[in-house]
Order: sequence, then C-alpha cells, then structure tokens
Amino acid sequence: MANELKFLVVDDFSTMRRIVRNLLKEIGYSEADEAEDGVVALNKLRNATFDFVVSDINMPNMNGFQLLNEIKKDDKLKHLPVLMVTAEARKEDIVMAAQQGAAGYIVKPFTKATLEDKVNLILSKLGLK
Amino acid sequence: MSTGASSSSGVAAADLSQDVHQRIGALTRQLHDSLNGLGLTDKVKNWAGEIPDAKSRLSYIARLTGEAAEKVLNSVDQAKSQHDYIAAETRRIGALIVKDPVAAVAKGHVMNFITDVEEATKHIDKSLTDIMMAQDFHDLTGQVISKVVNLAASIEQQLVQLLIFTAPAEPVNKPVEAPATTFVVHEHPVLQGPVVNPEGNPDVVKGQSEVDDLLASLGF
Repeated sequence: MANELKFLVVDDFSTMRRIVRNLLKEIGYSEADEAEDGVVALNKLRNATFDFVVSDINMPNMNGFQLLNEIKKDDKLKHLPVLMVTAEARKEDIVMAAQQGAAGYIVKPFTKATLEDKVNLILSKLGLK
Repeated sequence: MSTGASSSSGVAAADLSQDVHQRIGALTRQLHDSLNGLGLTDKVKNWAGEIPDAKSRLSYIARLTGEAAEKVLNSVDQAKSQHDYIAAETRRIGALIVKDPVAAVAKGHVMNFITDVEEATKHIDKSLTDIMMAQDFHDLTGQVISKVVNLAASIEQQLVQLLIFTAPAEPVNKPVEAPATTFVVHEHPVLQGPVVNPEGNPDVVKGQSEVDDLLASLGF
C-alpha cells in the first residue's frame, strides 16, 4: 500500500526535482509530481490528492516556509507531511521549520540513504508504512 | 645658456607635477563628496567585505563542480569495468554453451554466470545512482552564482549612478545613459542559500547528523 503514496516534489531547480523523483522511485515510491515553487505547489495540492510533500526552501514567488505555512493553515492540507530538503543550513531555519510543522529536515547535499531514512521514518510515525 | 634652459624645464616639470598632484587631490575629494552625497560610503565599505565573500563563493563553485566531475568519472570507471566484465563473461559462457550445452549447465557455468551478472548489475545501478546524485551541484552552485551575480549587479548599478552624478556639467561627449537594471538585488536576503564556509560558524549545521541532533534536542 505504501508504494501507492503520491508525492509532490517542490524545487525551483529542475535537476534537483529529477534527482528527488528518481530517488523516490528507487526507494519504492514511483507516484510523484513536481512543482517549481510554492505557488504552483499549493495550486496542485488544492486540485489533486497527495500524500507527501518534499519541498525546497529557497524558491521564488513562494518559498518553502511560506508553502509550509499555507499547508498547515489549510484544513484540507494540514495533515500532509512536509519534508524540507534544502541548502539552508542555519540552525534558526531548521528550528523554524520544525516549529511550523515540518515533518523532517534534510540539508543538501544529501544521500539516497538519508532521504530513504527520513521518508520511511515519517511514514512509520503516521502509520503509513 | 644651457643651465638656464634646464633650470626652466625643471621648474616646468615641478609645476606640472604640482598640477597633477592637485588634480588627483581634487578628484579624490570629488569622489569622496560624491560617495557621501549619494549615500554610497557605506555601500563601498560593504563591497570591500563582499568581494572577498564573492571570491570564496566562486572558490566554492569551483570545488563543488570539481568534486562532481571527479565523482562522475570514478562512477563511470566502475560501471564500465562491471560492464566489461559482463561482456567478457557473456562471450565466455556463450562459447561454453556452443561447445557443450549440457556440460555448461550441468557444471554450473550457466548458473554462476547468472549470479555474477546479477551482482554486477547491482554495482552498475549503484554507479548510475552516484552519477545522478553528483548532479546536485547544479542546484547548490546555481544558488551561489545567483548571489554573486546580484553583488556584481549592485556594484555596477552604484558605479553607473556615481558616473552620472560626477559627470561634468557640459561634457564634451554626452554621457552614456545608465542601462535599465533588470536585476533584482536583494540586499538582505532572509534566506542564505548554501553555506560556503561552515567551519567556525556556530549558527549553521555542517551536515545531516547535526540537523538530526538539533531537532532531537528540541524534542522533534
């Protein structure tokens, strides 16, 4: 069942979106869509069903913190786990993400094992794995 | 006569030197006043700090792209060696089957070949994943390049402003109009992007394990 979960990968760099999607596929999650910023992501989240969001932070139009905030204040979306995957390495950003309700935080550059561990940990906590 | 001539040329040279000196002094004063008048003094001070930062950012890009290229070439070498092994083993097992198909199966050559190929493909798959992961430099260097471009645009914009402000009242040549700036300059970005020099900076984490420790210490 877990393999049918649908992911939304949000990053302004197409290379990174491809990398994350390919990694998700390698670890068993082949259902994934992409968005290049928070605005596009929010639009997709409101118009289709997703189970998991993997989001960058530093993006144009709407950054990852703003997207996280929008998701968490939307009754229909707030249950969604949001895993931040970002180059932002300041401790205050990490703490802020956790306080705003991020399910996990990965700093770039990262490994396949790190992504797999975090995704599986979050899904286990939610009883989805 | 010759003494008088050399004496007068010496005076002229001294006058010229004095004149040049005064002109440089006047220009320096004008530049200083202009910078103050435009409120650019602080910006110039900032450039002094930002240019070394830009240099370390460019070094970071060079390092990251170099490491990525190295990683890709190493992974390609490993994948090619596994690929060569599969090709050679396929030729060898093919020859054994042609020679004596029953013996090739009975002696376990075919089964060993299948096991070996499966193992080699796992190694090739890992190499391909490593090659893919090495491309993450595009994202990280892209963010850093964007910051350096913004800095260059900011300096260019201020210099053009300064040029216009200090242009003579009746110039011999018409001053070139300042080009319309299309860059968006974020002077105080909220987000910092990749950390170029994490060493000795207590405000940033140096890797995923520090992120995990920090979140765990906060009960997340």
